[in-house]
Amino acid sequence: MLILVVDDQPLNCRLLQTMLEHQHYEVLVANNGQEALDLLQDHDVDIVLLDVMMPVMDGFETAPKIKEHAGDVYLPVIFITALEDHASFEKCLHVGGDDFIHKPFDRIILSAKIRAHARTRKLSKEAYEQKKQLEYHYNQIEREHEIVEHIFRNALSGQEDFADLCDYHLSPASMFNGDMFLMAKSPIGGFYCLLGDFTGHGLAAAVGALPASKIFYTMVQKGMAVNDIAAELNSSLNTLLPGHMFCAAAIVEISSSGRNVSAWLGGFPDIYLIDSDGQMLKTIESQHMSLGILDEDEFERNTLHFEVEVGTRIVMATDGIIESEAPDGTLFGEQRLIDVLSCKVDISTRDIIQQVREYSGHKEQQDDLSIAIINCLPDCSTEALPPEYSTLPFNISISLNAEQMRYTDPVLELVDILSKVEGLHAHRSNVFLLLSEAYNNSLDHGVLGLKSDLKNQDDGFIEYYHQRARALENLKDALIIINVRFSPEEYRIIFNICDSGNGFDQNTNTQHQSQQEHGRGVELLSEIAQSVTYNQVGNEVELVYSLR
Amino acid sequence: MSLSKNASADGKTLTIQIKGKFDFNLVQSFRQAYAEVGNQTEKVVVDLRDTDYMDSSALGMLLNMKKTLGDSVSSIQISNCRPQLKKILQISRFDKKFDID
Repeated sequence: MLILVVDDQPLNCRLLQTMLEHQHYEVLVANNGQEALDLLQDHDVDIVLLDVMMPVMDGFETAPKIKEHAGDVYLPVIFITALEDHASFEKCLHVGGDDFIHKPFDRIILSAKIRAHARTRKLSKEAYEQKKQLEYHYNQIEREHEIVEHIFRNALSGQEDFADLCDYHLSPASMFNGDMFLMAKSPIGGFYCLLGDFTGHGLAAAVGALPASKIFYTMVQKGMAVNDIAAELNSSLNTLLPGHMFCAAAIVEISSSGRNVSAWLGGFPDIYLIDSDGQMLKTIESQHMSLGILDEDEFERNTLHFEVEVGTRIVMATDGIIESEAPDGTLFGEQRLIDVLSCKVDISTRDIIQQVREYSGHKEQQDDLSIAIINCLPDCSTEALPPEYSTLPFNISISLNAEQMRYTDPVLELVDILSKVEGLHAHRSNVFLLLSEAYNNSLDHGVLGLKSDLKNQDDGFIEYYHQRARALENLKDALIIINVRFSPEEYRIIFNICDSGNGFDQNTNTQHQSQQEHGRGVELLSEIAQSVTYNQVGNEVELVYSLR
Repeated sequence: MSLSKNASADGKTLTIQIKGKFDFNLVQSFRQAYAEVGNQTEKVVVDLRDTDYMDSSALGMLLNMKKTLGDSVSSIQISNCRPQLKKILQISRFDKKFDID
């Protein structure tokens, strides 16, 4: 504890110094105000004892400068005074004095005052340190939030804006309320939405959104079902999040026709199906626990499916809406939400939020209002542009003997190879169909000599399957040759499949029959291929497939 | 190539999902998938979202299912077809016998 004694009378200085040093304080001495200020620059003084009348700079002038120097930390200034009039006391206080000691000095009163002010000084110093630390942490958190918001904005804003299909409201700070809304379209035109609500608030509530959004987008891109998405999210969040944290979620898929809805709801408030007038069609309750609670083997994949009229609207809202409080403490509740939905045609989320805000008296702290309205509409996204094709012509020829017919699946492998050629991936289903029909026809009827009329009998499929397996097992000395020619100039793929079988005579029953029983296959071939040509014998077929 | 099935929460809908290719190799597992359709099942959904390939034997298997289940279910829906598979179903007029979504 360092005490600065400021007095122009050497006797006073010595007296005070002796008394204070006797009580184990360190003491500095200055003979006027200016000297005192100079000393304060270099020393961390805790208490100043300040005389009033001094040359160069008197106490009244010095006190405010000392206080200014001290800044936010309390530096007690105790006036040493022989004055007795109130006006002088008042002036001392007015210029920043904290206390007085009177000449002649009383050792006990001096000691008591020094101790009291020392305590206050100590508390003030601690408070100042804590304030500095708080400021530091506050700035740190602000900065981290900015970074996180930036990351989330980039991670989540990758999504397109499906304005026709979906109208949603998320509060600006939704990230730190743990609310998350994701939407995406699958390659086959299904529209997926996920509204999630993580437990808790702040950064902790936000962390789960990153892996969740990544999983959601990846799986929608693959066109997975909602329960597959839910299962994957669950196992990821279960692994990542601490035990007390989880995510209530509604995951909904509208089929590309806009007529079928699949939903997986876990721990989420009821969602509503309404017509365009807002009339309630159906209420759907959560069937499951929130994501991130159950282990993989306990997880329930059951999904709700229902058919809807095109134009039906699905309303989902996190509990922030129904738990909004009026000034008197009553909750907004489900019934009020249902009433609001039907209060006008084509209600928007903005209308709903406005009503909730009015109800709650615009209370600022209620900022976790998240709601989405999805319109069940058919997919009308434009067809992709025609693909670019490889300009490299090629031939692939495959000869299969009996052994290879038994153990390989040439159709799928060939389709896989062809799919890798630039532009052909989009045609893979058709290429598969052509090759599969032609190859299986050669194998089943040409090489194995099976009769397909068997398939028309009850359970004939299974019997056919067994006969085929037996015939394959016993097959010897057989050959099937598959030839594929890609002709980029003509935008064509020509398939030629021939077998070592006897073929069929166009005039005999066999061929006639085979065409009848195989009506579907033949019809498909002729619809998908540009031309289908059999040779005279009937053991070779040429299929021309046009890429245009 | 694989097949999975799933009953909806209320037990009224059975969903059969086929991954990869839908052809003759699935004949047994496909039949098993709908063999246990109970009284409470009202609707069967064949979900083709993950199906890349199908041929005429798949069509035959679907018709067989329709024949077997008859009126015991109110509808059989073929859902989430890729465009080329949808065309195959349309060429074969399956839209007259099945609910194709």
